[in-house]
Amino acid sequence: MAHLGSGALILALILAIYGIVATLFGARRRIPELLLSGYRATYAVAFLVAIALIALVVSFLRHDFRLAYVAGRSSRDMPLHYVIAAFYGGQEGSLLYWTLVASGLGALALYLHRRSDRALLPYMNATLLSVLTFLLLVLTVVSSPFRLLPVTPPDGAGLNPLLRDPGMMAHPPFLLSGYASFTVPFAFGMAALITGRLGSDWLRAIRRWTLLAWALLGLGLLIGAWWAYHVLGWGGYWGWDPVENLALLPWLTSTAFLHSVIVQERRGMLKVWNLALLLATFALCIFGTFIVRSGMLSSVHAFAVSAIGHWFLAFLALVLVVGIGLLIYRLPGLQSERQIESVSSREAGFLLNNLLLTAIAFAVFWGTTFPLFSELFWDTRITVGPPFYNRVIGPLLLVLFLLMAIGPLLAWRRTDVRLLLRNVGWPAAAGIIVGLVGLVLLSRPWAAIAYAVTVFAVGVTLQEFWRGTVARRRNARENVLVAAWELLRRNNRRYGGYLVHLAILLMAVGIIASNAFQLERQFVLRPGEQGTIGPYTVIYRGLEDRRTADAEIVAAQVDIYRGQRYAGTVESFRFFYRNYEDQPTARMGITLVGMDDVYVVLDRWEDDGTASLRVYVNPLVIWIWIGGVVFVLGTVTLFWPQPVPALARVPQSVAGATSEA
Amino acid sequence: MSERREASGGEMSSALVTRTSARGLRVDVRLFGIAVIIAAAVGYLMYTGLQGTAASYFVTVSELQAKATSVDGRRVRVGGDVVAGSIVRGGPGEPIHFRISDGVSELEVVYAGVLPDIFAEGRHVIVEGLYRTGQPIQADSVLTQCPSRFESVPTTATS
Repeated sequence: MAHLGSGALILALILAIYGIVATLFGARRRIPELLLSGYRATYAVAFLVAIALIALVVSFLRHDFRLAYVAGRSSRDMPLHYVIAAFYGGQEGSLLYWTLVASGLGALALYLHRRSDRALLPYMNATLLSVLTFLLLVLTVVSSPFRLLPVTPPDGAGLNPLLRDPGMMAHPPFLLSGYASFTVPFAFGMAALITGRLGSDWLRAIRRWTLLAWALLGLGLLIGAWWAYHVLGWGGYWGWDPVENLALLPWLTSTAFLHSVIVQERRGMLKVWNLALLLATFALCIFGTFIVRSGMLSSVHAFAVSAIGHWFLAFLALVLVVGIGLLIYRLPGLQSERQIESVSSREAGFLLNNLLLTAIAFAVFWGTTFPLFSELFWDTRITVGPPFYNRVIGPLLLVLFLLMAIGPLLAWRRTDVRLLLRNVGWPAAAGIIVGLVGLVLLSRPWAAIAYAVTVFAVGVTLQEFWRGTVARRRNARENVLVAAWELLRRNNRRYGGYLVHLAILLMAVGIIASNAFQLERQFVLRPGEQGTIGPYTVIYRGLEDRRTADAEIVAAQVDIYRGQRYAGTVESFRFFYRNYEDQPTARMGITLVGMDDVYVVLDRWEDDGTASLRVYVNPLVIWIWIGGVVFVLGTVTLFWPQPVPALARVPQSVAGATSEA
Repeated sequence: MSERREASGGEMSSALVTRTSARGLRVDVRLFGIAVIIAAAVGYLMYTGLQGTAASYFVTVSELQAKATSVDGRRVRVGGDVVAGSIVRGGPGEPIHFRISDGVSELEVVYAGVLPDIFAEGRHVIVEGLYRTGQPIQADSVLTQCPSRFESVPTTATS
């Protein structure tokens, strides 16, 4: 199996290099056969990488501990699903998985666009294969998953306990495939730059691919937050840790891209900006991997520091030099076709949205890399923590939410301001009322303001849905449910986008509350004793020892009362996995009472059963996960096949958002 | 097919580009003004963010002792290995005392939160808290790292 895998990788590397040469040569000399052979090389690379991955998974399933990678990450007593998931539990395997996603999606794109975008394809293929060549080079030369051990151990070390969690099944695959799938839009963007075909063709080609990558990355981040909240035991879901930030950065820039690309589609503006965003997004994916692997920043994600950091740095430099060089070379062809005519136009709204998103991305980037820069210039490493991000990004997000509300109401070219004001009347009133009530009732003014803005934005978005539905019902004589469904189906880009807006706002509800009103207390209790936190009483019932195939477990049972009423029992665990006995892994006991999460962490205990428990009350966190579900619904809507040819709808939409809605 | 569409788009656009007006310029100036305001706001927020308690000096134990006077009363983030035999856990609920070392000097740490899962003697940890000369650090956060053995291990403990 090991030989099959490493052989497949080497063959894939050779084919990838051949493919680059063949496509470039074929395109220059106009030899169709050579071009076709270049494309087939890509299919073959994808196939070979898939074989290598299957070989790796089979090695895991067979417990083939001759492989260093398998021995280091699995053991015989691990449950089957973790044995399979272990293949991306380390650097080599995750890189292989990345390569598979990039080559698979690349091959798929090549197949789907084989007729529609002929002129772009050779250079798209060459760019794609260049990225794959780099990855395969790293996989074969520096960090091969198929390295053999000199002596075969009888059993493997097992997967790190923290990775033995359902979150492990979903978070890394989504995040990594998000990173990897940005390769496809990047390849199309480079092809547009190289060929000079900077019209709308390449944009149409990549919108869906960018959307896919963006949705995968977003889901990966969300699942990561869920995992952190349920396993890591510090009562939070996002810690502004460098590794999290680095994954957030490409998501922010691609969000900006997905918005500004609409302006280019409709109005032919922001061309340079869009290409720059695309380039930045891909570069940030590489940058993230490089920083994580180079060990330059101290993170709670203790990735193995390894030599591939340098490789990624070199590749990043190459991407940036080539990308920026091409962009400058093509500047004359990237003139805007129109000018922005009014500050109160949809295009100006998108421009501001982009400025805010990039400003947020910049602040996150700055905060994350500040230790490096401060050491360079002031000779001391200064790190910034969550308060920095909250202070800088909180206000920016609120302005962004305001824009999220007003933006969709703006018309292209110019908006009648009086009409706009009339349109936001009810939501604005709702927002102001919530804000005033909040100022009176809530102890934190900033939370009241944040809620006012959020309610306003939710109000406008729901109003848009309502108006669209009512208009459809009247015109098409459908009942409300059919009208709402048809609205989503027929205008999927518009209303799918609104669903995503709604998702972000729902998450904001939870984020604001858990930041402003989290309660936290530490209790030391003997069995039967109780403590109170906020409106809750916790009664500690005692410890219990349990045993599974691969771990010994200590479980603390805690009853939770709200006032006098029994609200539930939670169990908070410490797992002692075999081989990792010095690393007792916590599993939180969380129960939802009304809208509050009561979150119990078992800290330490003594033989007589006395335990120290840390209890958090996290209000409204459930809304973050509800927002996550809406986010999925929104992205599914965005991907929904369009029943009407896209071209037929364009003139109608340009006519103005306010009238249409 | 795509050739033709592009050509017609180009014609239309060139007609529009030539119509640059004074109003267009005014709009550009206003948009530029908004951009400058956003940039200034971000700059201000970031500057004040760095002044407050959000920033801390990241030093080794020896560096901390060398610079003791200049970082007195500030937040610091110190990396070092947990000294063998220095962990005093106390009973449940009592703070943990331990020392960290960078091989040259040692530093006393007091921590009252939940320890990260992989905290142990000899492990590399990063503690963060307020520094007062001559006193043990009252850490409000302890991060553990053990890059030699684990990969992609997210662990954290913050109180």
